Amino acid sequence: MRLALPQPFEDLGHTADVGVRVRGATAEEALARLVLAFATLASGGAGVAAEREERVAVQGGPGHAGSAVALLRELLYRLATEGLVPAACEVLRVDAAGAEAIVAFGRRDPVRHAEGADVKAVTWHVARLEREDGGWVAQAVFDV
Amino acid sequence: MKLRRIEGDLWEIPREGRMRVPGRVYSAGPPAPDDPALQQVANVAHLPGILRFSLAMPDIHWGYGFPIGGVAAMDAEHGAVSPGGVGYDINCGVRVLTTSLEEEDVRARLHAITAQLYRDIPTGVGASRAIPRLSDDELDEVLASGARWAVRRGFAAASDDAERCEEGGRLSGADPSEVSARARARGADQLGTLGSGNHFLELDRIAEVYDPAVAEAFGLVPGRVALQIHSGSRGLGYQVCDEFIAEIAARGGEFGDDYAHLPDPQLAAAPIASALGQRYLGAMQAAANFAWANRQVMTGLAVRALLHALRISERDLGARVLYDVCHNVAKLEEHEVDGAARRVLVHRKGATRCFGPGDPRVPAPYRAAGQPVLIPGDMGRYSYVLAGTARAMTDTFGSSCHGAGRLLSRGEALRRGRGRSIARELAARGIEVIARGKKTLAEEMSEAYKDVAQVVAVMDGAGISRLVARLEPMGVIKG
Repeated sequence: MRLALPQPFEDLGHTADVGVRVRGATAEEALARLVLAFATLASGGAGVAAEREERVAVQGGPGHAGSAVALLRELLYRLATEGLVPAACEVLRVDAAGAEAIVAFGRRDPVRHAEGADVKAVTWHVARLEREDGGWVAQAVFDV
Repeated sequence: MKLRRIEGDLWEIPREGRMRVPGRVYSAGPPAPDDPALQQVANVAHLPGILRFSLAMPDIHWGYGFPIGGVAAMDAEHGAVSPGGVGYDINCGVRVLTTSLEEEDVRARLHAITAQLYRDIPTGVGASRAIPRLSDDELDEVLASGARWAVRRGFAAASDDAERCEEGGRLSGADPSEVSARARARGADQLGTLGSGNHFLELDRIAEVYDPAVAEAFGLVPGRVALQIHSGSRGLGYQVCDEFIAEIAARGGEFGDDYAHLPDPQLAAAPIASALGQRYLGAMQAAANFAWANRQVMTGLAVRALLHALRISERDLGARVLYDVCHNVAKLEEHEVDGAARRVLVHRKGATRCFGPGDPRVPAPYRAAGQPVLIPGDMGRYSYVLAGTARAMTDTFGSSCHGAGRLLSRGEALRRGRGRSIARELAARGIEVIARGKKTLAEEMSEAYKDVAQVVAVMDGAGISRLVARLEPMGVIKG
């Protein structure tokens, strides 16, 4: 399922950094929402115009959560070095071995996205991608 | 979380389950038992080779893996190194420069001076190009030489700036070859940039001196102007930490059950003596050197900005580095443990080294007084300079707090800042602040932080570091 910005997420209320939690009917949907929560933090909630689409595949683990962290780490590197922000995302596969997604990227605009956070790292602390209440829950704490 | 008072402001989390040592927390008043940071103190106590206590300073708050304000010393032969115990912003730290300027010299031209600093030192998200992008060979020199590289290139207040930094502004175990191409890509154009979040550059007046003799040794004169720079290793350090946590998480099973079953994946650790542990230490030390070079380049840029804005000579400015301390680092140090000298790896995650009087590792001008301990507060109130003590050497592996410590989440600070102009509120109190983003000012407003006066009072009261002077902000630049 392809999801585009904006998507809902919960703020975990982390004191020093920013933690987010999302839900989905499947692991893939939850992870796509987590990717877009990361994009919302980076863009400050302003729209992101997609410029190009790319298949992003990463090796992951331990567990589904480790694969979620691996995908976010890759996307954060693209943000830090190329200024690329996900505008839409379809997670094709996520399991304990890795994740694969089609990501539509836009560019971080210093004016339009001036209120975006400087997301510097994806931490492993309380990272989750697991079944809960008949669906899937995903969460991550980002260093900002 | 169970807590028992040891004495004064010192509390203990008793050892239970697989904890190897108890936790010890310095706190102004009883810690809130449901504070997630306390669980993190207990979690750190699970790390192999931890000695005596998992410690937390009074600026403790919820981090990831380690709490912010955490200190853990590991046996250097049989213990663990945890990249998360250093943190992503390797050698995030602070330096203070003293000047010969009087408050009134600056007050009259405060806006122009602050604006010049803001123009000359890139700030904010992805800030870059303070100096020309470094070639790979130049970056290798930075990673090996730290602050000395920048001094050699003329970015300095004085020729002995590096000697006035912790470790002389350079960790000798740095291995630039362990800094990946990706980390280099994130850092190559960021040297001399402040960054965002809680990083800042601040003009302060020396508001009050508590210990005149030590203040004199430190060059702190009431009414004069000082400069603080708080920043770290920028994207390069983040990438180094990120990659090693991922590698250790993937290979944790290789080092046995003690390493495979830690209570938080962010604590991922490797034996110090292992090839992987040694590779991390080499890369981490190189990133620490990058941070020192970063603060040193900004020192040079700030000195030039002040000279330009005030149209005075270097002699009239009289800028000198007082000291420069790391907040996020793991360092091999010798400490006395159970009556015997031992080599230990001290992780300080949001904590400051504070060696006591007479220690040969403290620069000669300060050796009789103890190491300068620089404790920034928030941009609306004050910061402090303290001095290390002998008590710190016996109780905290020579460690003290590193700042005020956050009280509010960033989201809550933004909610409380809604409809307010933090810049105008500060201006009404005589503080000129220029920031890249309005959101930063709300996230960083004074109410978002504990009162650093209470934090340093705990350290002073416990005899861990002694109050020397209070600095109050006049001009602030933020990312």
